[in-house]
Amino acid sequence: MAHIKVVRRSMRPEEWTDLRFGWLKRYIYEEKYEIENLKVRDARQTSEMQYEYYPEGWRELRRGDMYFTPDGTAFFDAEVKIPRHLKDKELWLSLKTAAEIIVKVNGRYVGGVDPNRDRILLTPYIDSDVLHFEMEGYNRSKPDDERNPESLSVRGCRQIFEGAYLATVNHTVLDLVYDLELLLDIAKSELFNEDYRSFLNREINNALNLIDFDELKNEDVAKAKKYVDDVIYANDDYKGNGDVALIAHSHLDIAYYWRRIHSVQKNLRTVLIQLRLMDRYPDFKYTHTQAYTYEMLEKYYPDVFEELKEKVAKGQFEPVGAMYVEPDCNIPAAESLIRQFMYGQHYFREKFGMTVKNCWLPDVFGNSWILPQILKKSGVDYFVSNKMSTWNDTNRFPHNNFIWKGIDGSEVYACVPPTHFITWNMPSQIQENWEAYQDKNQGGQTMSMFGYGDGGSGCTEEMIEVMHRFNKLSVMPKTEHIGGQEFLEKNLKDNKNLAKWDGDLYLEMHRGTFTTKSRMKRYNRQLEYKLREAEIISTLRHLKGEEYPAGEIRELYKRLLINQFHDILPGSHITPVYRDAMADYEEIDQKLDRIIGTGSRYFNSLNFTRKHLAFIPDEKGDSTRYGKKGNWLIPYLPALSSGEIKKEEYKDEWITVGEKVITPFYEIGFNPDGSINSLYDRELDREWVKGEFNKLKLYKDNPGVYDAWDILPNYTDREIEFKVVSPLEVIEKNSEAVSFACTLATDKSEWKRIIRVFRQSRGIEVENVVDWNERHVLAKAQFDCNVLTRKAVCDTSAGFTERETHRNTTWQQARFEVCHHKWVDMAETDGGIALINDSKYGVGLLENSMSLSLLRATVRPDVNGDRGHHEFSYMIYPHGDDFIKAEINNIAYEYNIPLCKADVSGESIFGDLYMQTMKMSEKGDTVVVRLSEQNGKRGRIKLGKKVKLLNFLEDTVGEVDVIEYKPFEIITIGMESTAVVK
Amino acid sequence: MKDYIEKVIKPKLQGDGGEIDFLSHEDGILTVLLQGECSKCLIVERCIAWIEGEILRDKGERVRIIAQKKKPFFWDKD
Repeated sequence: MAHIKVVRRSMRPEEWTDLRFGWLKRYIYEEKYEIENLKVRDARQTSEMQYEYYPEGWRELRRGDMYFTPDGTAFFDAEVKIPRHLKDKELWLSLKTAAEIIVKVNGRYVGGVDPNRDRILLTPYIDSDVLHFEMEGYNRSKPDDERNPESLSVRGCRQIFEGAYLATVNHTVLDLVYDLELLLDIAKSELFNEDYRSFLNREINNALNLIDFDELKNEDVAKAKKYVDDVIYANDDYKGNGDVALIAHSHLDIAYYWRRIHSVQKNLRTVLIQLRLMDRYPDFKYTHTQAYTYEMLEKYYPDVFEELKEKVAKGQFEPVGAMYVEPDCNIPAAESLIRQFMYGQHYFREKFGMTVKNCWLPDVFGNSWILPQILKKSGVDYFVSNKMSTWNDTNRFPHNNFIWKGIDGSEVYACVPPTHFITWNMPSQIQENWEAYQDKNQGGQTMSMFGYGDGGSGCTEEMIEVMHRFNKLSVMPKTEHIGGQEFLEKNLKDNKNLAKWDGDLYLEMHRGTFTTKSRMKRYNRQLEYKLREAEIISTLRHLKGEEYPAGEIRELYKRLLINQFHDILPGSHITPVYRDAMADYEEIDQKLDRIIGTGSRYFNSLNFTRKHLAFIPDEKGDSTRYGKKGNWLIPYLPALSSGEIKKEEYKDEWITVGEKVITPFYEIGFNPDGSINSLYDRELDREWVKGEFNKLKLYKDNPGVYDAWDILPNYTDREIEFKVVSPLEVIEKNSEAVSFACTLATDKSEWKRIIRVFRQSRGIEVENVVDWNERHVLAKAQFDCNVLTRKAVCDTSAGFTERETHRNTTWQQARFEVCHHKWVDMAETDGGIALINDSKYGVGLLENSMSLSLLRATVRPDVNGDRGHHEFSYMIYPHGDDFIKAEINNIAYEYNIPLCKADVSGESIFGDLYMQTMKMSEKGDTVVVRLSEQNGKRGRIKLGKKVKLLNFLEDTVGEVDVIEYKPFEIITIGMESTAVVK
Repeated sequence: MKDYIEKVIKPKLQGDGGEIDFLSHEDGILTVLLQGECSKCLIVERCIAWIEGEILRDKGERVRIIAQKKKPFFWDKD
């Protein structure tokens, strides 16, 4: 007998409930009075507060009309006389929209509407019979929260206007709607007790049966509400467990699918909405990050900023995060991260009289091991970041509330909340958070963030209303709505039971962000060092009586920091964001050039003698690098000194080019594509190559939806062949360097490799000049080294980290692509190979192989990601001994910091510590020097004079004449300046 | 027309994560390629109509736009 599946087509009881619930929501508004004289004017934002207007000017906007344009801002205006029957009633503006609209009434900012909320309470702002509405809306094809299905359903650049209304709300209906929102979420969630859900389904039905939906009456709704109170809320037979802290937050990407200029209004709307919720709900507390967003609000919307300050004073609006923006925490160098805190904390101190005690980075793509020390010395004891718990693709990060131990041994309290930073505070999400929480027995409460985000927006009335009902439900975990810092201190501070994580907080996802948007990463690296150069030179000049350009340097630094935001520098953004960043970089670059100026002598800003080969631009030079003439020479400039440098005269033949290329250091077997089949070290009497070496490899790179973000472990599955267009040949030869060049090509791209060997350096430089027009291709340079090792060493910018190169467990398997800074080294005890780069961060490490990630070609979010011209270099540096004795770190600094001309000099008394910066203090009265131990050593430096010991905020924390340092410590000292700051 | 699409329309669509490229313009038919967010937009016809209106206003030319969508394969599940 054939099996006939019974398909139920009649309505199930749950569907009947849903249907009536939807019906009930139609009665939320008691009365609606359409605003019929609304006018609209289309524009496009061109800067933070400037707009280009469409020529049509103001036009009438009627229900059913099309409104908004691609990347468009629309301005709305209407003057409405309140009709007599609505006077003295609680009055709302009702406006359902897919856009983000900021609403002003009679000159005052009253709130915002967007896909997550469609009404604003007007009553507190009504001071006359006439309401003058001025509204500004930014359209978005990409909703700021794709997790809200309602947002998703209405996205698109051209929208249909659904009308704007003065309205009154039926609170009896609305109360029941919130009850049902809450109860139905539980009834539909498999995370809750099945019997309780049956009970809910039955009793919700019973409650709704008290309402005649053909003729809805308030008294019936009230009866249903009473039934919910008496039967459902009163039931405590079903016990939940857990203890969840509910923290209100809105994640605001200052650039992503929108430009930075739009975040000014996104932030205003977000802040306004939260302030209005605070007005109505005195128990509501909200956390907001990024000093930059406060700065923008203060600058452009001072009235709202004053309100915000009042709410901060009341403890409702809580500045969190301490940093200037929420930066990427893989790529920026230590000094940049320090400045994020310094500028952030100085702002919070100045405006709110507070030092923020937590670092709040819900969305960043992993966190460098150097962070705990930077936090501690920036007045921050706590760290919050969500991604590792919810986004790891291989291993479950084992802790939520724990202690994070940094590279130098500094410890901070850390919270990696078990669930996403965007939730809408529904019981199922809270239950999920509790179930995912791994420190139930020792960590105290678990943190559940609520509020829409990515483009801001934040919490809603609904989230707060349901929250006020949680304690009526015995089946739910215990909940408490508290502030961010309050949570951290309550649960983590002095908690002796917390587990400890000693290492970086590597995110097992988004590994492509070490490489995507290569040009930005190169510019960022160059400007980090150029800022260092500008500060040191300006300080030394200031000590001779010149004016220190404090304000200008601060502004340029801040601009760089903004562009280190975690969807800017990592490359996960649309085309205009890239253009903005590149324009910023160019401006910073030019202004720094002006600050640095020039001189008659070359200045060595490093606090060690420059004794490695450098390229000095000179139109009359006999070498070429990146198309510019110059000379390769060894500067021999002592630390912080300036002087003349001369090219050494050398006439003897030093290189043989035949089947093998023989230099003073090597016998090299080159292949036509520039790869090396043999690298015999004449000094060390050993072969360095075992397999493919300096081999340029192209792979199909299809990571899926997270295109700009991810490289997947299967990227090696499909390799693309390069054709050798012109094989390797000598193109330039002189007394210091010989350059070989070859050109490789695909159907779309051309890649010129210029390989240099040197008379006086063990380095072999590979300059890359690329016209890159691929889609979904990852380019790597592969180095199979004749080295037996189980670990590689990676520069972090403030010390090194060792990374395992085997794949024994899933933890190593997940780290198939890792972040490094200027160099990576793979060695045996008596020698190894370092790869020193001028702009690369991603590297794959497997057994004896290193694969340096060079370029990607992604299509989302930026359809044109990384296409175009690229120039970058790396240097292969085989060495004897270990990387410390071989001075790889110093060589990498010399490689990355070009000599500039400036007639200044200073005194170096800091031994082996790397001088990370020298600047005038923010107050202008002290010379601040930051020193970084980078070789994992302990020691002592006798200064011979008393200096102030400072933290990273430039507060004095002690006085010393001997600096005692431990491995990887970063120390800041302040020395009196006799010069007067003008 | 190519210049207009590239210089006037394209930056606006890019501001929303979209992309438009000129393909051809013959006999009043303007063919364009849509990528990025535009390639998966469910209401892109409204935008196409708007572009036709912009061209009419700015260039005084009435065109009918044929939009080819090039959606990355990983979005096909959407």
